[in-house]
Amino acid sequence: MATTTSTPTTEAPPEPPSGRRRGGVLPWLGVAVPGRRTYRVWQRNRDVFFQLWRAELMPPLVEPVIMFVALGLGLGTYVELTGDTEYIQYLGPGVLAMFPMFASVFESLFGAYFRMDQHGTYAAILSTPARPEEIIAGDAAWAATRGAINAALILVVMVALTPVYGLIESPLALLTIPAAFVLGAVLGSLGLAYTSQARSISQLTYFFSLFVLPMFWFSGGFFPLESLPGWATAVAWFTPLLHAVELNRGLVTGDIGWAHLGHLAWLVAVFFPAFWLALWTMRRRLVE
Amino acid sequence: MPAMIEAHGLVKTFGDFRAVDGIDFRVEAGEFFGMLGPNGAGKTSTIRMISCVVPITAGALQVDGLDVRYEDRAIKARLGVVPQDDNLDQDLSVRKNLEVYARYYDVPKRLARERIDEGLELMQLQDRADERISALSGGMKRRLVVARALVNEPRLLILDEPTTGLDPQARHLVWRKLRLLRERGVTILLTTHYMDEAEHLCDRLIVMDHGRALDDGRPRTLIERYVGRDVLELHLNDEERARVRAYLDPRLGESARVEQIEDVTYVYGLGQEHAREVEELVGDHYRVIDRRANLEDVFLTLTGRALVE
Ligand SMILES: Nc1ncnc2c1ncn2[C@@H]1O[C@H](COP(=O)(O)OP(=O)(O)O)[C@@H](O)[C@H]1O
Ligand SMILES: [Mg+2]
Repeated sequence: MATTTSTPTTEAPPEPPSGRRRGGVLPWLGVAVPGRRTYRVWQRNRDVFFQLWRAELMPPLVEPVIMFVALGLGLGTYVELTGDTEYIQYLGPGVLAMFPMFASVFESLFGAYFRMDQHGTYAAILSTPARPEEIIAGDAAWAATRGAINAALILVVMVALTPVYGLIESPLALLTIPAAFVLGAVLGSLGLAYTSQARSISQLTYFFSLFVLPMFWFSGGFFPLESLPGWATAVAWFTPLLHAVELNRGLVTGDIGWAHLGHLAWLVAVFFPAFWLALWTMRRRLVE
Repeated sequence: MPAMIEAHGLVKTFGDFRAVDGIDFRVEAGEFFGMLGPNGAGKTSTIRMISCVVPITAGALQVDGLDVRYEDRAIKARLGVVPQDDNLDQDLSVRKNLEVYARYYDVPKRLARERIDEGLELMQLQDRADERISALSGGMKRRLVVARALVNEPRLLILDEPTTGLDPQARHLVWRKLRLLRERGVTILLTTHYMDEAEHLCDRLIVMDHGRALDDGRPRTLIERYVGRDVLELHLNDEERARVRAYLDPRLGESARVEQIEDVTYVYGLGQEHAREVEELVGDHYRVIDRRANLEDVFLTLTGRALVE
């Protein structure tokens, strides 16, 4: 075939610079370690959130109030607890973990799916120096942040209700905000890993029905799990929400001990494999 | 001077399917280079490899002297990419879109603000800075994506079908902006399936089909090489076609030839006097078009198919 001046030279491509790996991927992890552009991705999500903050603020303020009224004041009058605890007080620590859980999970399912598939947000970021791992880490961090924001708002509601119902008994309750961040990091990572496998929006709801809702009911937030058969308690111990609720119970009442540190350790320990799973699965989805 | 892009035996496969099937090309710094090919030719796949978004399957690819396999970050920092589908942040304003993007490149805030003002003005969007994306027309969105691709002052600007879906006016405005950028010394790589776009803008181009490079060169050179200067394009019924072929076939000689593609007959390399004769034979001048040859004819000659179905 006729060629013009553009005949390429036939030199061999240069050897890889020492210490460089393809896309920064570590051989024994299968992913690159996310770098500082994680923060840029997080900033992007934050900016979009604050653009829409008025719409985003209402649910976390209203939903817990409805739950306190319906369950705490309605159902609660029929519930007899040991000691002098009111049922509405028993609910508090659970609410401080459940609604943040929903916020983090929604963000990592629907929010991430839209960014990945519908709006091309991930594609846009991928052509900048940000790596896939940084997009995933930024999104996981944002899911966790959504949980923390949600917990902070609920805490405001609970503090406001405390003079009447005695919901908050210790300033340690402030630490439920970082606790929601940790829970959100775990669940956001699992949510992103699931989203990476989804081929349609409707598939996302399975994660909800089969994982999130059972966790919601059997976290010990609504009733002590001792009343359940032993195997159910055992299963519940493997779900993240239970540990967040137990941790919150200590923080809200101020009655804190080694067991609570154990719950935190459980969440932190599970975060690392969950986060790796998110990086590994979502990377494969993004880099075909 | 080192090439801006240099590809040797570049391959991209998806499973067993070879989307890019061993192409070689070289883009010099300062050039306006085009990739012309129909849908599915492998243009986007090639661009995604150049911009380090997907790994190369085989071959070698260097951008600005850097190997795409190991220098993804450094390469991405020097590129501006305008993707085929607009992927602006719908929830953010025009200006905020650019600010968010500049952060990925670590452009300091004040410098980013300067460049954003410049970019918006260059793309004639300065009055739209505070609007929502949904308030923009298709042409404005495209220009905004170009402005976004400029926030890091790229050495190489890559545009994937920048005018697909735009009306003629919007297209011409985009073309004008791209010519302006070339004058400023930006190297540009553009893909298109519009032969007029390729011919208008590109110093040099590569013609692609089914993941392969058919040829490359200057638009005029390619046209002369495969088609010659003029084409007689005939829209005829069967009876007229038989009549014209009976006249033409004995007179074609060495350099002229006839291609029948769908219902259109193309006659390449025919002398002017014969063209007159054919017009006489058909009688209806609207169905005999005597025109300059273009890149569409090159593609037809190389593949027997039209660029845009
Ligand atoms: N991610 C992918 N998975 C499988 N096939 C793909 C993928 N991307 C592109 N292809 C296929 O590769 C071929 C070339 O596609 P593309 O590079 O988009 O061509 P162009 O941009 O020239 O239209 C097409 O047949 C397309 O279907
Ligand atoms: Mg394409």
